[in-house]
Amino acid sequence: MSPERSFRSSTARLALTYGAVVLLLGIALQGTVFLLTRGALRSEIRTIVSAELDDLAQDFNTGGIDELVSVLRSRTDSWGRTGAVYLLTDEALRPIAGNLTAWPADVKPDSGSEVEFRINTTEAGVSSSHPVWARVEQLPDKFWLLVGTDTSESERSMHRFGLATIWGMGLITGLIGLLGWWYSRQTAQRVRDISATCDSIVHSDLSRRLEVGRRSDEFEQLSSTVNNMLNRIEQQAIMLRTTLGSIAHDLRTPLYRLRMRLEEGMLREETSSATRDLVAPALEDLDRVQRTLGTMLEIARAETGNLAQGQAQVDLAALAREMCELYAPGMQERGLQLRLELDAEAPVAGQRQLLAQLIANLLENALKYVPAGGSVVLEAHADAAHTVLVVADNGGGISESDRERAQQPFVRLQEEPDLPHGSGLGLSLVRAIVRLHRGEVQLQDNHPGLRVVCSFPRWL
Amino acid sequence: MSTDSLAKCSLNSRMHLLLIEDDAEAAKYLAKGLRESGYTVDVAANGRDGLFQATEQQYELIIADRQLPHIDGLTIVQMLRRQGSKVPVLILSALGSVDDRIEGLRAGGDDYLTKPFAFGELTARIEALLRRGPGVAAATRLKVADLEIDLLGRMVTRAGRRIELTTKEFQLLEFLARRQGQVVTRTLLLEGVWDLHFDPQTNVIDVHMSRLRTSIDRDFPKPLIHTVRGAGYVLRDEP
Repeated sequence: MSPERSFRSSTARLALTYGAVVLLLGIALQGTVFLLTRGALRSEIRTIVSAELDDLAQDFNTGGIDELVSVLRSRTDSWGRTGAVYLLTDEALRPIAGNLTAWPADVKPDSGSEVEFRINTTEAGVSSSHPVWARVEQLPDKFWLLVGTDTSESERSMHRFGLATIWGMGLITGLIGLLGWWYSRQTAQRVRDISATCDSIVHSDLSRRLEVGRRSDEFEQLSSTVNNMLNRIEQQAIMLRTTLGSIAHDLRTPLYRLRMRLEEGMLREETSSATRDLVAPALEDLDRVQRTLGTMLEIARAETGNLAQGQAQVDLAALAREMCELYAPGMQERGLQLRLELDAEAPVAGQRQLLAQLIANLLENALKYVPAGGSVVLEAHADAAHTVLVVADNGGGISESDRERAQQPFVRLQEEPDLPHGSGLGLSLVRAIVRLHRGEVQLQDNHPGLRVVCSFPRWL
Repeated sequence: MSTDSLAKCSLNSRMHLLLIEDDAEAAKYLAKGLRESGYTVDVAANGRDGLFQATEQQYELIIADRQLPHIDGLTIVQMLRRQGSKVPVLILSALGSVDDRIEGLRAGGDDYLTKPFAFGELTARIEALLRRGPGVAAATRLKVADLEIDLLGRMVTRAGRRIELTTKEFQLLEFLARRQGQVVTRTLLLEGVWDLHFDPQTNVIDVHMSRLRTSIDRDFPKPLIHTVRGAGYVLRDEP
């Protein structure tokens, strides 16, 4: 998983966690309010009903059954308390007075009990069922008195309240989700911006910097820290470059004079052939020193530099074909067979000359190390994301433990007195060039032989 | 072929070169070598003098060191080009990376040679720059002794006999024939025929040349392709 993706999911996770916590807290809060409200409504009903029951019991005590009946009649006839339910029955639960036609079936006559039941009414042709909360009391002489209240209104309110709560929670959840999404997108976007800019700075222009605005939040602190780091890197790169430049100049000038003097000596008529025989190999050695110096500088440039200059689309397949044409006769002369395995196109963003040098180094390595009768395959492939260049041979190969070492400068894995050109820099330059093109090199076992795989991000 | 040599000699002596080089010893040696090759050479020891001389006088070619006191070699080329001068400029430099080369050629230089170089490489490149004219490019037929090259038909005959060549061998021969009598170095061949600017560590070019040589010279008593020790190859009638 790429870093930006994992970060993206980590901000999303953070937002989700916060969302869940807020949602839970909301549910707890709303639930408590709901329960408390319902409790308050119920206790209000209970108070009213109990007070009325006490009142009626008082009426019975003072005026007897007749008084109670008349009070109940007046209460049920007049517009008394809304939703009030009364029933007075005798011992056998036969109604005497009240606005219920019969003792509710599912209520046991039990003095002092609080009961809930439903009654069915028909009002203007519409029948409906009402929940009732009531208290039952046995009066002296075994009369039963039931006083209650139609709770459908308060239940409806609670229902509405519950609905509102659910809607509210839904809305909050939606808002939190939206906010979380926006926040994680924002964060991921800023991190992506920073990482993309860093990437392009490192790969193309070390003098560029990240933007630092006036918000001075964590991201801008990060940006300014990265900028400080880039300052250091740039200073070091510049220092390395100037140092290398002066080394090159300081070494090349005396080498240049040395070469001129030797050449002049060779050109003089009076130079004896014995001297010539001494000077000629000295000139060849000088060539070798010069080449090594040049390769070293090229490696240093590639390792510290960037591709800002001379970058273009290079088709590795076409380049491989040209390099094959260049090296095939030499290979043939050494008794090696050079084959091509190419995709139609293998585009890479880079410098053709450096990529040609890369292929040349790999082919020359094969020329040096693969014994006669062997074969070398030059491959160039491209898929949606990568372009891959492979040079594979069936020679001696490099043992796994030596593969990392083989890419270090000046490392030679075997003594090669008969190979005068090996500077031990070939694979280091290969690695430096591949890295400069944002790719990576892998040395693999070709069973038998060596398989060098250079993989580049594809040209877009 | 002797008349051709004479012509070349008088051509060189008319050629007026300016060498801008701050290393006195190198300048002395190069100027001496170039004069021996038949050129008239002026020497400037720093960038300011060099630029002054280059604008005051007509030169056929300017050889400028890249790192110079006062005004560096690249700036000299840029200023000359801004003035509309088309004089060929060969840049000499201790900086030899691909980037440096691109920079040098972008500034308006016509060729770029990394120090230290063999003197033969320098003269080969000077000749290549001086002969780079429209006349040769328009030719459709090249002839060296009894060797004839038909550039349009891509056909080669020697003493009337058809010689079969691969595409690369043909390009090599054409490159040599366009510069007949001039020494052509291996790096020039690699640049001119393959458009590659690096130093091969193996003898790839020699292998190609020996194949071409087999095709051109094997069946004939007089060889036309000659190896010049320490420099390169030359295609000419005489040894």
